[in-house]
Amino acid sequence: MTIATADHPVSRRPIDGWRWAGRIFLTLLLIFTVMPMIWMLITSLKTGFAAMQYPPQWWPTEPTLGNYTRLLDPTNSVGQEFLRYFWNSLWVSTLTTILAIVVAVPAAYAFSRFRFPGRTVLFFAVLLRNMFPAVIFLVPLFILMRWLGLVNTHGSLVLTYLTFGLPLAIWLLKGFYDNIPIQLEQAARIDGATRLQAFLFIVMPLSTPGIIATAIYSFIGAWNEYIYAYTFLTRHDQMTLPVGIQRFFSENATDWPGLMAATFMMSVPVVVLFLVLQKYFVRALTEGAVKH
Amino acid sequence: MAEIVLQHVMKNYGSLYAVNDVSLTVNDGEFVALVGPSGCGKTTTLNLIAGLLPMSGGDIVIGDRLVNDLDPKDRDIAMVFQNYALYPNKSVYKNLAFPLQMRKLPAEQIDRKVKEAARLLDITHLLERKPRELSGGQQQRVALGRALVRDPAVFLMDEPLSNLDAKLRVQMRSEIKRFHHNLNATIVYVTHDQLEAVTMADKMAVMNGGLLLQYDTPANVFANPVNTFVASFVGSPAMSLIPLDAVTHGTEASLRSPEGWDLPLSPLNARKIASSSTSKIILGARHSTLKLHKSEVPGSVPGKVYTVEPTGDITFAQIFINGAVVNISVEPSVLLTPDEQVFIEFDQDRMHLFDAETTMALQAA
Repeated sequence: MTIATADHPVSRRPIDGWRWAGRIFLTLLLIFTVMPMIWMLITSLKTGFAAMQYPPQWWPTEPTLGNYTRLLDPTNSVGQEFLRYFWNSLWVSTLTTILAIVVAVPAAYAFSRFRFPGRTVLFFAVLLRNMFPAVIFLVPLFILMRWLGLVNTHGSLVLTYLTFGLPLAIWLLKGFYDNIPIQLEQAARIDGATRLQAFLFIVMPLSTPGIIATAIYSFIGAWNEYIYAYTFLTRHDQMTLPVGIQRFFSENATDWPGLMAATFMMSVPVVVLFLVLQKYFVRALTEGAVKH
Repeated sequence: MAEIVLQHVMKNYGSLYAVNDVSLTVNDGEFVALVGPSGCGKTTTLNLIAGLLPMSGGDIVIGDRLVNDLDPKDRDIAMVFQNYALYPNKSVYKNLAFPLQMRKLPAEQIDRKVKEAARLLDITHLLERKPRELSGGQQQRVALGRALVRDPAVFLMDEPLSNLDAKLRVQMRSEIKRFHHNLNATIVYVTHDQLEAVTMADKMAVMNGGLLLQYDTPANVFANPVNTFVASFVGSPAMSLIPLDAVTHGTEASLRSPEGWDLPLSPLNARKIASSSTSKIILGARHSTLKLHKSEVPGSVPGKVYTVEPTGDITFAQIFINGAVVNISVEPSVLLTPDEQVFIEFDQDRMHLFDAETTMALQAA
């Protein structure tokens, strides 16, 4: 049996150089992003003296966990403050996340499923907020919060973070609901469910990855926010971590190892969240990109 | 089981009428196919019966209840969707149990009914699987099972076979037919495939542009299409339609072609021509009623072979007659070559005459 084999099989990649250039570029990028984190970790293990040495010690000669024990020890003032800030951040971020989900889920569902007058206008109005940098709203929101009597409360932060987090949350979740066939709900309604039951029993479980991803976004956004927390809160016992960490800078000397240890501790919840839930995160971003 | 009555049912989106004044009655235990091209309003009609869409006007009665304002869940219906709409996060067992749980049946009764339905559809071995682990035919069966498990008054099916491959479709066609026979179920079945409608349904409702054009048994629709649309939609290959001029002399009539031939008509067909006001006629004929001759015989008209499609036990040919393409079937032993001159004889008892302007079938006075 003869088969026409006029064409040479093309197995070799035509331009391998591009692949290597890409790898080198990615490696540089990786170093660029990871180096500060490594340096943060190394510094947090140094003593105050070792941190200030020049030329710098690449690896501490006397590594110590003292900075961490100091931060986590509720008996001394530094630990008390740090744990207080940590708790404040956790409380504000969690509350923001829960409220964002509670509002965004029905809103996104409505945008996805219902045709009502002003739907398009409203949807783009929701996104309009994202066209402006957050700082622009600083003064108006401060005035608003003062008028509401919310300055120096965590409520002011939660409200503000929702203002910024909700548009993205709604947008993300709407994409998820768009991808759930409407026939599933119709089937549920014919099978004896009310509209609400169809949503709760059928749609909600299917949109869990989207809800999780949205929750992470909201949480990280609130967890990392600095400028609003810095402006709205003046009382020490209310400060969140990004602002509270500032306290390590003092007029005469900055406790670099302590600062770095605190920063590291601050990144732990986000990293853990991300590692545990990353598969949902990726799915949320790529959902609908390819037909399943 | 119950009958369904639609009275002047309307559904419009602004000035667009998706369903325009549709009235029909589905008798208890009847299998009715709603058939038409995409966008004809058949699925909308089904959704109106299901209550998934609000009606713009008219009445729908299921059993002896007016259901206009009832929720889908209160209409005592079951529906099979084109994409099956199986709950992807639930096992087959839970998919089947869901309608029963929603009706708050006791657990052991649910278990009994689910297993019974599974046995009936031969899916017992699949109960623990998730829908995505099933083949198309198995998913189809689970969808049927979910519909029948709670013994509804009416089954609604929205193109349930169109996602299956050709072979499975033929198999599931007979299974659904058997399902209808065994349960004596009232079924409304939407399809764009006229062959499904003709082969499965007791009655077919042909729709186009939101209008119900004809509602009758498949045999009657096939034999007496009301207009050229129904004529060309039902039957495969489609009925051939040739535009011609009618010429009458006294009680006799013939069809004249600009190509220069005359086709004399039988007395019955002549009466149809006489009772109409137009002289522009469309002649319709199905492939099986036409005879092909290599040389001219009385009552035949000349044509030219366009393409020949042998299928093995029958050969289809397309013939150009008076500028129109005419489908014809011949014995495989008849050899035809493109552009060959042939003569086509019409069966006067089984030909159709349509008014070219209104497209309606002509009736003898």
